[in-house]
Amino acid sequence: MPPCSETRAAPGDRPALAAAAPAAPGAPSPRWSRRRREALAGYAFVAPDLLGLLVFVGLPMVLAIGVSLFSVDGFGGYTFAGLDNFRQMAGDTQLWQSVKVTLTYVVTFVPIGFVVSLGLALLVRDHFPGVGLVRTLFFLPHVISLVVVGVIWQFLLADKQGAVPALLRPAGLGDVSFLGNPALALGSLVVISIWFLMGYQMLILLGGLKDIPKEYEEAARVDGASSWQRFRHVIWPLLRPTSFFVLVNSTVGAVTGLQAFDLVYVLTKGGPANSTSTVVFYIYQQAFTFNNYGYAAALTTVVVAFLVVATGLMFGLTRGGRFDAD
Amino acid sequence: MPAFERVTRRSLLRGGAVMLGTAMAAPLVAACGGGGQGGNAKELTFWNFYGPNPQGDARSKWFTDLVAAWNANNDVKVKLHYLPVSEYLAGTALQTAFSAGQGPDIFLLSPGDFLRYHNGRVLTDLTPYLKPDQIADFDGGVLDTRTVDGKVYGLPMEQEPLAVYYSVAAFEQAKLSEGDLPATWDQWLDVAAKLTTKDRFGLLFETIPGYYQNFTWYPFMWMGGGSAVPESGKPGFDVPAVHNALKFWQDAVTTKVAPRKPQGDGAGNGPANLGSGYVAMQQSGIWTVSEMEQQKKDFPYGVFPLPVPDGGTYTTDVGGWAFVANAKGANPEAAATFIAWALGATDEAGVERGRQWNTVVKTNLPARKSVQEAARAAGAFDKPALKVFLDEVVPGGRGEPRYTPEVYKAVSDAIQATQLGGADPATAAADAASKIDAFLKGYQGAAML
Repeated sequence: MPPCSETRAAPGDRPALAAAAPAAPGAPSPRWSRRRREALAGYAFVAPDLLGLLVFVGLPMVLAIGVSLFSVDGFGGYTFAGLDNFRQMAGDTQLWQSVKVTLTYVVTFVPIGFVVSLGLALLVRDHFPGVGLVRTLFFLPHVISLVVVGVIWQFLLADKQGAVPALLRPAGLGDVSFLGNPALALGSLVVISIWFLMGYQMLILLGGLKDIPKEYEEAARVDGASSWQRFRHVIWPLLRPTSFFVLVNSTVGAVTGLQAFDLVYVLTKGGPANSTSTVVFYIYQQAFTFNNYGYAAALTTVVVAFLVVATGLMFGLTRGGRFDAD
Repeated sequence: MPAFERVTRRSLLRGGAVMLGTAMAAPLVAACGGGGQGGNAKELTFWNFYGPNPQGDARSKWFTDLVAAWNANNDVKVKLHYLPVSEYLAGTALQTAFSAGQGPDIFLLSPGDFLRYHNGRVLTDLTPYLKPDQIADFDGGVLDTRTVDGKVYGLPMEQEPLAVYYSVAAFEQAKLSEGDLPATWDQWLDVAAKLTTKDRFGLLFETIPGYYQNFTWYPFMWMGGGSAVPESGKPGFDVPAVHNALKFWQDAVTTKVAPRKPQGDGAGNGPANLGSGYVAMQQSGIWTVSEMEQQKKDFPYGVFPLPVPDGGTYTTDVGGWAFVANAKGANPEAAATFIAWALGATDEAGVERGRQWNTVVKTNLPARKSVQEAARAAGAFDKPALKVFLDEVVPGGRGEPRYTPEVYKAVSDAIQATQLGGADPATAAADAASKIDAFLKGYQGAAML
């Protein structure tokens, strides 16, 4: 047996045992057990991503906490403000209006988007001629830039002259303004967001569906279970971890994701009458319209903290989507 | 044991505390940095949204020629930095640069944003670099919103007044003639109703919230004697003049003669709205003349001044961008000297430069009297639309106001709430007035005009 193989240790070997093996020229130090080397290799693989996360996500997050404790004028002027920025939130009616808008967006977009995506995933789960093309078509909106999506929908929904009002004209709804009416603008954004994200969520759910062994469904069918019963008692429980991921992902996205900002920015600028001013858009305005960088950082800190707690809570309560004791 | 296996809860907490401490200290360190205040650098950066742009159009060429002429005769060189107009107006680049202490030495600024930068103490006083005859050459009042305590902080490139554009074809279809052009708000809504069809709106006001919407709404407030902030002993925003102005815009939408959403990038875009047949009348600025010429050359249109309310006094809003110098830049003195030369030089080349910009490259009204005379002599205002601007629109014009972002937002919310949200104008005005009054109590910056 070559010398280097003598340093190999079975999984679970104690480092002390490995250290007892004789060292050979050019071989890894005998102090490095297989477990340690594997750990080192693992860390080495993770390191670039971890470094990126630390530098571009972790550090700015920590810096944002620091900035939130200052009054910042945007021209290099920093005055220590303690917790004033956080106290200011309580009396900020515009902020609470934005929270209301965001919550409305979340409770409509997340469940409807999930149901639509799941429906599409079930539709394209089994093979039929052209299934690949259908899947591609459903996914297609997601490859388009959100800004372009916004511009396309702006044309489609244009008052009087857009394709959608034109289609609705025979029903007497040709004068409806989807993006200019406060009662409809947020709903329109929800529809556009679903259109944009349904393909992506469909793909994830499709992966989850494909992981469910066909035998389970076949057995249920043989036992006389109807389509709904097979979905309710076989597919749904086994799809829960995937569903959990999709729901958490889309909830976080609905609060802070691109569609919560980009679409609003391109289509409505927070209007009409602040009806689409989401929390993220409001934070942007505070920073770049009012130069209230300290307050914007405080708002960001609270939003991130809320999301971390909410996600942790959801994860804890459902044990990662397993729900049932297993 | 390797270090990566020795991470304990205590060491994690310790590391976290160090990071948090660093984060709290970071703003202070950044504040001490700054961007070479009062230096004597040999190169100045000039941020703008004209050139050198990828299209290399006439506006871009004017900027590159301007800088080339300066650089040929001066040791301190100017380097242009182009930003797309959308990024410059609504993006984060400029604010982020200033926040990091790396703001440009020279940049373009509109009156609507003047106070933010002036109160941030980043604007250089240009007065020492201007001769009295240079200041006197600027049209009456055009420097007001760029002046604080008698000191000039920005030199305007242009004057951009607002008027109403109308489609000649739409008027003819509705059997209307020039004699039917409205002179009062009531007449305006009546004519708009006659011009409204199933595919077209009669009238367009801006509906997208932002500085531009406020800019276009202010004349309606002024015409009845209102103001966003108390002026000359008069009350501020919660007055009948403001209620009427809010109600007028609201009526245009509720009677369905005006759309809730403009086409293109907004109601300042003539070709996308008037030129596309989306509307028959559109409030817009003088820039629309050149836009129509370039994009809708064969579209017949006319221009008339903003109608007035019963008992009101005609006025319009006159916008326009100015060159300003960063007081915390690499060489504020050289930057100020450059601006005084570029836009204030009274020699033949300086006047010609202004004429080219205002009446050849763009369609503006020149901010300087000498340039206006040169342009008139060259026949620049012979075009019917520009003649209306010069003879009928600009007289009675008022410079775009400089309000702080807090005042802008309060006014914007009132406009949006009434125009599109259906709120009662008096209630919305009272709400905005209370916000403005509360803000003004603690306000210590330059006067709002």
